Amino acid sequence: MTAQIKLLGILKSYVGNQSQIEVNAGNTVREAMRALNIPSELVALVLVNNTPQTKEYCLQAGDVVMLMAVVGGG
Amino acid sequence: MNGYGGNILRVNLSTGKITKTPTPVELARDYIGGRGFGAYFLFNEVPAGADPLGPENKLIVSSGPLAGLMIPGAGKCDFTCKSPLTGGYASASVGGLLTAEIKYAGLDSIILEGASAKPVYLVIDDDHIQLRDASALWGKGSITVEKILKDELGEEFQIACIGPAGENGVPYAHINHDYGRQAGRGGVGTVMGAKKLKAFAIRGTRAIPVADLDAYRQAGMALYKACKDSEGLGPWQNLGTTMVVSWCDEIGALPTRNFAAGSFAEGKTLYGPVIREQIVITDKGCFGCPSPCGKYSRMKRYGTRVEGPEYETIGMVGSNLGIADAQDVAQINFLCDEWGVDTISAGSTIAWAMECYEKGILTPADTDGLELKFGNVPAVFTLIEKIAKREGNLGALLAEGTKRAAQKIGKGSEQFAIQVKGMEQSAYATHNATAMLLAYMTADVGAHHNRAWAITYDLQVGRELVGADKVARVIWLQHVRPMFDTLGACRLQWVELNIDLEMYIPALEAITGVKRSWQDLELVSERIWNLTRLYWAREHKDFGRAWDMPSPRFYTEPPKTGTTAGQITKLEDVERMLDMYYAQRGWDANGLPKPETLERLGLANLVA
Amino acid sequence: MRLYADSARCSGCRACLVACSLNLFQENNPKKAALTILPHFPAPGVYEVKVCTQCGECAAVCPTNAIKQNARGAYYVEFAECTLCEACVPACPENVMFVRAGLADVAWKCDLCGDCIAVCGTNVLRLGEIAAA
Repeated sequence: MTAQIKLLGILKSYVGNQSQIEVNAGNTVREAMRALNIPSELVALVLVNNTPQTKEYCLQAGDVVMLMAVVGGG
Repeated sequence: MNGYGGNILRVNLSTGKITKTPTPVELARDYIGGRGFGAYFLFNEVPAGADPLGPENKLIVSSGPLAGLMIPGAGKCDFTCKSPLTGGYASASVGGLLTAEIKYAGLDSIILEGASAKPVYLVIDDDHIQLRDASALWGKGSITVEKILKDELGEEFQIACIGPAGENGVPYAHINHDYGRQAGRGGVGTVMGAKKLKAFAIRGTRAIPVADLDAYRQAGMALYKACKDSEGLGPWQNLGTTMVVSWCDEIGALPTRNFAAGSFAEGKTLYGPVIREQIVITDKGCFGCPSPCGKYSRMKRYGTRVEGPEYETIGMVGSNLGIADAQDVAQINFLCDEWGVDTISAGSTIAWAMECYEKGILTPADTDGLELKFGNVPAVFTLIEKIAKREGNLGALLAEGTKRAAQKIGKGSEQFAIQVKGMEQSAYATHNATAMLLAYMTADVGAHHNRAWAITYDLQVGRELVGADKVARVIWLQHVRPMFDTLGACRLQWVELNIDLEMYIPALEAITGVKRSWQDLELVSERIWNLTRLYWAREHKDFGRAWDMPSPRFYTEPPKTGTTAGQITKLEDVERMLDMYYAQRGWDANGLPKPETLERLGLANLVA
Repeated sequence: MRLYADSARCSGCRACLVACSLNLFQENNPKKAALTILPHFPAPGVYEVKVCTQCGECAAVCPTNAIKQNARGAYYVEFAECTLCEACVPACPENVMFVRAGLADVAWKCDLCGDCIAVCGTNVLRLGEIAAA
C-alpha cells in the first residue's frame, strides 16, 4: 500500500539526490513531505497522477505524485 | 556576421530619413546583442538630459544572436529608451515572433529617432522600408490595430503597436505584439507614441547565417531534446506562470490589497488550475518554444479573448485589487492590452488609489464619484479607460504612476506607493523575503522581477537572513538572467526545465563562430549593468543610494493577515544589504561604480 | 508513411518551420519550410497546421517527373530536375506545395525527414501509416 513520490529539480537535494521515493499511502502529501524532510514551502506544485492537488491530498495506494519547486519565476 | 542579421536600421521620424549600416563587430563582441545593444546606443546616442518624450530620445529595438534560430525559446526582443516613467534606463522585453522577423529582415537593431509631426506607421518588408500615414489608426486599441495591419499587410508581417495610452503620454504605456504580448514596462510605448509612431510591421525572408551548420543543428537538437525530456515540461505547459499563484499565496508573496499582505484569503479562484479550466482555450508560445507558458483565454461573460492572464497580471490586477474572479481579472488584462497600459504599473497605481480612498485621502470628489474600494470591478474597468485618456482629475492623476501621484497627493500616501526608482513593483510581496527585496531595490529599471528572482532562494536559506551569500546570489542572477535578454532567447527553459546553462555554450559557438564561456558572458552582463548604472547617474543629478530604497511598507508595516502576518524586514537589514551589494559590485557607499570597476569592465572612457 | 498534425496542440511557436528549412535547404529560414502554421487571432484564437499527406497529386501533374518517392515513401522534389513550372502548386489539396520567387529557384515540399517532430514540444506532429481511402 504505497505511493510513489517523484521529485524535480532542487527538491532532490533534500533526499540525497534521489528522484523517486516510495512512501506509505494514507498520509497527506504535506505529512509525507514532512517525513522526508522536504520543506513544504518550497513545493510550488503537487501533481497526483498528473492532476494538480493541494498538499492536503490524502495519498492512495498506487498514486504517482510529482513535486515541483519554482526556481526562476516569471 | 554569423548569428546576426548584420545591420542596424535607423529611421528618423522627424525627417523620414532611413539608413542602414553594418552591425559593428566590436559591438557584438562587447555587448553581444539585445539589451546590450540597447544600453550601448542609449548611453552613447541619447544626449544627457534629453526629454524622454522629446525627439532626442530614441527607441531602440534589438534582437540577439540566438534569436530566430533553432534554439528553444529564441524569441526575445528588447526595447530600450530613456524612461518617461523613471527618467532613467528603460528596457522592456517582449516574446512572440517579432525578434525572429527582425533577424530574417537582415537586422539586429532598429533605432527609432526624432519625432513625426503626424501619426505614421513603419513598414519593413526586407529592403523595402516605408513610413505610411497612420491617421486612420490613431486612437484605436492595440489589439484592434494589430488585426487591421495583419489584414492589410498579410499574416507574415509581425506587428508592434501602441494603444491610446501610448498616444496620450501615459508614462507606463506598453508596446503590443502578437495579440497580447507586450514590452510592458517603463513606458517604451509612451516613447513610441511621442514619436507619433503608431506601429511598425516587419517581414524578412532572408536566412540567418551560422558559422558551423552541423554543430549548430546538433547543439540545437540537443537543447530541444533536453527540454522535451524534462519532467517539468508537462506541468509548465499546462499552467505556465499561473503555476505559482497558489504557491505565492501559501508563502505570503501574493500581493494583496496594495501589498498590505502577501496572502489573499479569497484567492483560490485565481489559482492556476482554475484559470486553466475556466478560461484558457489554447497554449500560445513564443518563437521556437517547446514549453509555451503563454495561454490564450476566452471570457464568455464579456465576449472577449486575451493572451494571459499571466502570474504578474493575476497578482497585480487580481489579488492586489482585491479581485478574485478569473474572468474579471482576464477582462482587466484585456482592457489594459487594448487601451495600451502595462498591467503591472496600472494594477499598482489603481491599488494605491484604492488604499487612498479607503483611508479617506481620496474622496468621491477626487474620484469623479467612483467608489474606489478594493474589489470594485466595474470601477477598475472605468479607470483603465480614464487613465489611457487622462480623463478627469482621477484619470490624469493615476496616469502619472504611483510615485508622482503620491507626491502630488501627499498625506502620507508616499508610504504605500509601492515602487522603486519610480517603477511600480511587480507581483511579489517582499515583507519577509530579503533577497527578493534586494532584487527589486537594485533592478536596473526599477522594481521589476525580471532581472533577479530569488524567492525560492530566500526560502532555502532563510527568509530573514541577510548575508554576503544572499547578496552574491542576487548579483549572479542579475548577470545570468538578463544575459538571455542579451542573447535574444528565453531564460525559462533554464530556470523551469532545469536545462544546463552549459548546453548553450556549444550552440552559441556554432552559431557565431566565437567561443565564449559563461564567465565571459557574465562579464558582458556586468558591463551592461554598470553602463546602465552610469546612465541613471548621468540623468539624475541626485542619483545614489536613496534611489535604491524600497517602499517603506516593507520595513514599517507588517501584514496583519496571511502567512507573513507580523513579519517585516528591518530597516537596518535593508541598509546592510545595500552596503554588501555595493561592496561586492565594486561601487562606492553611494552606489556609484568606482573608477577601478569601470576600468575592469572597459567602461572607464565613458566618464569624464 | 505520412505526417499527421493535431492543430489543437499547436502553440504557434514555429520551431518546426526552422527545423524544416534547415533540413530542406540547410538554411535558417522558416519562409522556406514545407509545412504551414496559420494563426487565427484574435478570434477564435486557434492555430491551424497544414502538412503534406503524401497524396502524390503533385507528382502526378509534374511534367518533368521531378517529384519522386524516397526510401521513406515520401514524395520529394529532385531540385536539379525542377523547372519551376508551378503545375504542382494548384494541384496540392493542402496548400503545402511551395514556390516562392526570389526565395528559391525550385519548388519544395515535405520529404518526411522528421525534424519537425523532433523539435515540437507540444507533440502536434507524428508519423503514421497512410489511412486507406
